[in-house]
Amino acid sequence: MAAETAPRKRILVVEDEDNIAIALDYLMTREGYEQERIATGAGAVERIRASRPDLVLLDVMLPEVSGYEICQQVRLDPALATVKILMMTARGSAMERRKGLAMGADGFISKPFELKALRAEVRRLLAGEPLPGTGEEPAPGSGDARHG
Amino acid sequence: MVERLGLRLRIALFFALLALGAVALIALGLWVAGRRVAPAPEGMAAVLLQAGVLAGLGVAALVVWVWYLFDMNVARAIDRLAGAIRARAHAEITADLDREATGARYLGDLAPAALAVTQSLVQTRSALAEAVARETTRLAAEKSRLETLLADVPVAVLLCNAEHQLVFYNGQAVELLGAGQAPGLERNLLEYLREGPVRHAYERLASAGEPDLASDLLCATTSGGHILAGRMRVLRRPAEGGEPGYVLTLRDVTADIAAHTSRDALLAEVFDRVRRPAANLQTVIGVLSELEDAPGSRADLDGALLDEVQNLTRVITELGARFDAIQTDWRPLAQTRSADLLDSLYARFSAEGLALDCFGPELILLIDGFEIVALLGGLGARLASNGHARIFRAVLLEEDGPGAVLRLEWEGAALPVGRFDQWLTEPLGAETGELTARAVLQTHGTEAWPETTPEGRHAVVVPIRSARRAGRRPPPISRAVVYDFALLSKARAQAVADTRLDDLTYVVFDTETTGLDPERDEIVQLAAVRLVNGRRVESEVFETLVDPGRAIPPGSTDVHGITEAMVRGAPGIAEAGARFHRFARGAVLVAHNAPFDLAFLRRHEPGIGASFDHPVLDTVLLSAVVFGTLEEHSLDALAARLGITIPDEARHTALGDTIATADTFLKLVPMLKARGLETFGDVLAEMRRHGRLQKDGNPRD
Repeated sequence: MAAETAPRKRILVVEDEDNIAIALDYLMTREGYEQERIATGAGAVERIRASRPDLVLLDVMLPEVSGYEICQQVRLDPALATVKILMMTARGSAMERRKGLAMGADGFISKPFELKALRAEVRRLLAGEPLPGTGEEPAPGSGDARHG
Repeated sequence: MVERLGLRLRIALFFALLALGAVALIALGLWVAGRRVAPAPEGMAAVLLQAGVLAGLGVAALVVWVWYLFDMNVARAIDRLAGAIRARAHAEITADLDREATGARYLGDLAPAALAVTQSLVQTRSALAEAVARETTRLAAEKSRLETLLADVPVAVLLCNAEHQLVFYNGQAVELLGAGQAPGLERNLLEYLREGPVRHAYERLASAGEPDLASDLLCATTSGGHILAGRMRVLRRPAEGGEPGYVLTLRDVTADIAAHTSRDALLAEVFDRVRRPAANLQTVIGVLSELEDAPGSRADLDGALLDEVQNLTRVITELGARFDAIQTDWRPLAQTRSADLLDSLYARFSAEGLALDCFGPELILLIDGFEIVALLGGLGARLASNGHARIFRAVLLEEDGPGAVLRLEWEGAALPVGRFDQWLTEPLGAETGELTARAVLQTHGTEAWPETTPEGRHAVVVPIRSARRAGRRPPPISRAVVYDFALLSKARAQAVADTRLDDLTYVVFDTETTGLDPERDEIVQLAAVRLVNGRRVESEVFETLVDPGRAIPPGSTDVHGITEAMVRGAPGIAEAGARFHRFARGAVLVAHNAPFDLAFLRRHEPGIGASFDHPVLDTVLLSAVVFGTLEEHSLDALAARLGITIPDEARHTALGDTIATADTFLKLVPMLKARGLETFGDVLAEMRRHGRLQKDGNPRD
């Protein structure tokens, strides 16, 4: 339904695992989003600057440059303030989640995730809704990292 | 015979003899002179007699005068001087001999010589006394320091003799073994620990005969099922023969083992629960691929596929969360005061030449303090060497949940997370070897990251998973050490009747009751103390209120002060009696009017599940043995006679009366021995002679 009503939002997937990237491509395309992918951390920030996606689906464990670092660099660039970041990790411990949110991520989802949950999280971020349960506004985009 | 007469009498006799001799010689001289004048003129005999009497009186007077002077100045002075010297030799008199020396001025150098000897004696003696006092003080101080040291050792330390009886134990041992009942001197260790491993280790070590040999062992408590890891070392074989005792140190590893077990169980569960959906998935996907071109009837297979995937996802998520939850359980983390942590951190930064201000509430953190200091110290050094800052703030913040956050803040250049994550993988410093910050974070089940505050300050943030407000300390472990090393070499008799009174262990007890009828009334309070090796062991006390399961008459409450509100929630006689029975195991029971107290307990033996068939001594009968039946034998009268004061507030409390009875009994024992009653059997026979006063309470009654 969202796909029918919303304008075509653009999503950048930063993910080194091909299989999950393929699946995400299918999913996001079916949801009506415009989707592109980059497979390594190196050059990801430049790609984000160039393409200005609405949402970055960012894996934490990337070769060369980690997801945390990419997230922090994006947040330090005021020009990218409107870009939402949803971090994905294979071991979503509470402490990793805190670190991701401290780096300025707008959301955090652990693998393996249920598609329903991922869909809901993507919709929430693109709609600019606050984090569930916190009542907090999503990242203000001031360039400051949040405090845990 | 003459030697037995006093000096002065002997001298007096000597002078008397001299006077008599002189008079006799004068008489003899005059008599000879009278015979030589012949014929004697008329009246000569009268003249001679007159002359003789005069001369005799004169000589006698002279001798008495000389004797008087001699007695005054020589004999008496010698007597006084001798008495004074003897007093100084045998009694502890330190005054000078001045007065006696003045009286003895005609004895030439004797008085000054005696003065010199006694002064020298007094000096030697006081020097000796001082040396003894100094050594005693030093030994007492050393003893108390050793006691403190042993009390503070964080493991349970026990010393046992060859029969496994406790000779020494510290507070941690009470904590560790005390689940069922508190340990006591001379009690058997095997009442607390399952005997197999202890006996086995002892026999192995004792037969090896190597005094420095030690053996590790793993054993379990008899109650509570605690698993203890320990080390046993056998003492040197005693010089007087017999089997050697041993030292046992113990540590509770139940939690360690439980943590390892839960990790193992979780791992096993992971494989089990993941294997099944993975295998199912493989089958379903295999079938799907073969049906690729076949139309229809795929809905159920798709459903199966999705179902298995969801199952797998759920299992992995749940197991991952459970793993995170127990991750820090088995890590060697300690309760650390935040002030101590920050102080160590300050010292570490100072040593690096860096400034650090510390802020934060007083918290107790569950951390490895050394590792956290190494982590933040290492980060500080790197930040300094990379030009970020040389002045830092360490800020500890409480969090809403069970945790806290430690922040290392600075003003200056920011730290990118990429560089920070790189640092985490590198060794922290030379003194911590290969230890990396990442390893420290894993040990603590946490993460760390750099961030920037809205004010432009930068910080490294380290969440601490477990923290609580300082102040709520756990109940302190009894720190005292309890020991009697004489038990190591104490000879054991076979039968109680043949055992010397000093060698028996006694449990002195008293009850407070709802009334005086043992058939109908009930116990409301029960107290007992242990006497081991002739002394009361201060820390080994049994005391409990007992719910009588019926009303307490106001008249009884007036006596002992125990109200119905006080006994509400207290154990009943079945439980309290069973605990008391365990406390009294292997001991002789002692009470004032023992048959009365025992009647209450024996009536409840079926409920308690044990019988009170201990040997019994009754201080009423012992008092009769020692002081005769005509004296009063109430506890107050007996205590007063033996100089024992019972504080008013303690009288008619079970414990107060018990302690008074125990102290009374300890004073009666030497009096019994003085009457030739050395063994329990001797005393029992004598007590039974007073049987018409009352029964003695021993089982055969």
